[in-house]
Amino acid sequence: MRGSFIALAVATLVVTACGQTPGGSAASNPPSASDMPVRGGTAVIAIWQEPSTLAPVYANQTVSDIVNYGVLEGLAETTNAGEYVPTLAKSVPTVANGGVTVTGDKMDVKWELQSGLKWSDGQPVTSADVKYTWEIYLKDPKVNTRTGFDQIASIDTPNDATAVVHYKTIYAPYPLNFYQLMPKHLLENEADISKSDYNRKPMGTGPFKITDFKAGDSITLEKNSNYRLAPEKPYLDKVIFRSVPSVEVAMAQLKAGEANAVWNLTAAQSVDLDKITGLVNQVVPGPSVERIEMNTAQNKEFTDPNSVNPVLGDIEMRRALLYATPKQQIIDKLFFGKAQVGSSPVSQGWAAFKGPQEGYDPRKANDTLDKAGWVKGPDGIRAKNGARASLSYTTTTGDATREKVQQVLLDEWKAIGVEVKIQNQPSSVLLSGSCTSKDPRKLGSFDLVQFSSAPGIDPHSTVLPRYHSKNIPTQANCAGQNYTRIKNPEIDAAIDAAGATLDQEKRKQSYATALKLLNDAYVIIWLYDRADIDARQDALKGWEPNAWQRFTWNIESWWLKK
Amino acid sequence: MGRFVLRRLLQALPLLVAISAVSFTILKLTPGGPLAAYEGNPLFTDEDRARLEHAFGLDQPIPLQYLSWLGQFVRGDWGYSFASHQPVLLLIGERLPNTIYLMGTVFVTVLLLAIPIGVVAAVKQYSWFDHLVTGSTFAFLSTPTFWLGLLLIILFGLQLRLLPIGGIDTPGQPFNIFDRLRHLVLPVATIALVQLGSHVRYLRASMLETITQDYMRTARSKGLGERVVVLRHALKNAAIPLVTVLALDVPELFAGALVTEQIFGWPGMGRLFWDAATRFDYPVLMGILTVSSGLIVLANLLADVVYGYLDPRIRFG
Repeated sequence: MRGSFIALAVATLVVTACGQTPGGSAASNPPSASDMPVRGGTAVIAIWQEPSTLAPVYANQTVSDIVNYGVLEGLAETTNAGEYVPTLAKSVPTVANGGVTVTGDKMDVKWELQSGLKWSDGQPVTSADVKYTWEIYLKDPKVNTRTGFDQIASIDTPNDATAVVHYKTIYAPYPLNFYQLMPKHLLENEADISKSDYNRKPMGTGPFKITDFKAGDSITLEKNSNYRLAPEKPYLDKVIFRSVPSVEVAMAQLKAGEANAVWNLTAAQSVDLDKITGLVNQVVPGPSVERIEMNTAQNKEFTDPNSVNPVLGDIEMRRALLYATPKQQIIDKLFFGKAQVGSSPVSQGWAAFKGPQEGYDPRKANDTLDKAGWVKGPDGIRAKNGARASLSYTTTTGDATREKVQQVLLDEWKAIGVEVKIQNQPSSVLLSGSCTSKDPRKLGSFDLVQFSSAPGIDPHSTVLPRYHSKNIPTQANCAGQNYTRIKNPEIDAAIDAAGATLDQEKRKQSYATALKLLNDAYVIIWLYDRADIDARQDALKGWEPNAWQRFTWNIESWWLKK
Repeated sequence: MGRFVLRRLLQALPLLVAISAVSFTILKLTPGGPLAAYEGNPLFTDEDRARLEHAFGLDQPIPLQYLSWLGQFVRGDWGYSFASHQPVLLLIGERLPNTIYLMGTVFVTVLLLAIPIGVVAAVKQYSWFDHLVTGSTFAFLSTPTFWLGLLLIILFGLQLRLLPIGGIDTPGQPFNIFDRLRHLVLPVATIALVQLGSHVRYLRASMLETITQDYMRTARSKGLGERVVVLRHALKNAAIPLVTVLALDVPELFAGALVTEQIFGWPGMGRLFWDAATRFDYPVLMGILTVSSGLIVLANLLADVVYGYLDPRIRFG
């Protein structure tokens, strides 16, 4: 019984076809004779976090996305290069092709659906579904976010295949606004979607449909015969997402052949798998950037944005801390080279800005501090104007990699005469993003804080709240994510300019201006760009990297080699 | 006896309310909340957070939140999970059979093994068997379950490849009793070995004390066979403390073994609690905590009742 099970598992791995994205521009090699996709089989993917809900309106976990890539689709999606390509739409409307008309500070976007599209229950996909998706996002109080939908004034549906979206402002990320469509005919009569089956088995137009959701155990997806690329795709018959308690168990299952693929490994874990033949690590540089942000205001709860941090208020001190940060060394030792040196918050995509930030030079750090008047005391710690160079350094508890980074920097900064005290907090506090939950970044009760963040494909959603001076959180208004409390009118102007136009070239230049100024202020050390590392058995073919979507983004093209 | 039970039940109600109030307050005062999970979404704005806080009732003062939860709870509405939006009762109902399946098997296994081992060890005190039993029970009882579980997984799952690593069954396969049994072996062994460590010792100690009693000598001198003496007279009396201990194991049938379920990926109540705790899913946590505390109170009562039934010297005031 065991032998046949292993054979089945191996068989399942093999069915990933060479990746052709629907209407996409992803480059892929033409299949050789031995690499022709094979039909059939079941792939088992081990996920070490169970999605609590799959409904796109409520889901907030990465793992929900991973499952949903096989089930749900929308009007357009993103390629690895960060370009928008159509999925259910005939083309992506732009100003150039006439799909987008700008009048003053408003815009209209006209979407044309492909013909013959069907939901997995056989009902046709129409523009009414586009309108319904918008309506439900605004109506339901429990949706995860209304970003984008709250910028829409109205939607016209002149015929079943056309939806004209009237925006109230210039909203640049419009292509991904309807990134997962919801079926009107199924949900319009539900009083409360959160209480319906849609949470566990959302209906979509994708290559698979969810046939079984066993809480805590597994989620089963089976071929959708109403998929627009059927019967050619998907190649796999079934995909099973198996819930495992931890990433170590997932790796054990991968090694034992009980799973064909595993999601989200750390670099250290992937090194373990590198040594095993038959297993492949997929390392995809992602947009997430780990950084250390410095508080230019005083370190206290509900700090006054106009106050000045006695140590970090001095730009020379901030510069010195950067010069004394051995980024490449950290990447080599802790990430086995599987990450890249950070240079800005936007590391990928059309608006990518590559800095750079100055490199590791401890001598320069010491010189800078000497020249700026930070004098070393008898205990080796510098002081200036009565302020001792002693800083608190905060990151999330229970993260072994971050703790090691802290140790490295503790030593490096001690060597240049800066004393650092580690004061970590659990991620439920540090990353809670709310003043009531005592997030020190929001309160301003930190000196140095380390965390990672990824911009969406359109950088405005992160650049505006984080680096614009109007978005500094205060006691009166806790909104805003400008944790460094930077107030630079030139940066503000550049960000505003980027948000006021749809011209991608102009926006890219504006972002570059803003981010260069940000780097020149030395308020953030961009440590490294995180890579997404997933592992699969070699027999599971058809994977294509995509930094902007989860690794299951082209699951219709996966096949198992026998 | 009836009045005793009634009085205890009436005392239990305010106790349970107090327990739920304290648990609720502690949960709410713990830094962090169910909205921390939304932070990873770059599109999540502060307006969204404010809206969700209102939708989940988190913007109200804690005592008001507690009272509204309590009001719904006693009317049978256990609320909806913040994370999955499923009714709490449904979530518990999905996981409970799996936990009862696991913990029930453990319970029966421990019962069936503890009695013969304890009895034989006591009767043949100082024999090689007795030494083996006392030594190994000491070892198992001192072993943390998570360590033992991981060790068994490494040995039987990874190195010898005899048994599956985790889960309740093989995904994608139709129901197969042998598959189920194979998946059951390691988790049951992990919990049962540690529990046996203590239960065997309880019984052995109790038996040793009983065997030396005067009435045992009387029974033997009446000419009764050794087996009747041991089983009918000694065991029956020695079993009383063991029954009390077993009755206190009953709440575990509901709450599950938190750590073991995590290690083996068992889709039971323990994992539900763990997931809800990490996500600050208050409705689910309160549902599980209240039922667990209720069961513990009931189990204590049950233990007292059974003890009183077995030992006629006990009188209930």
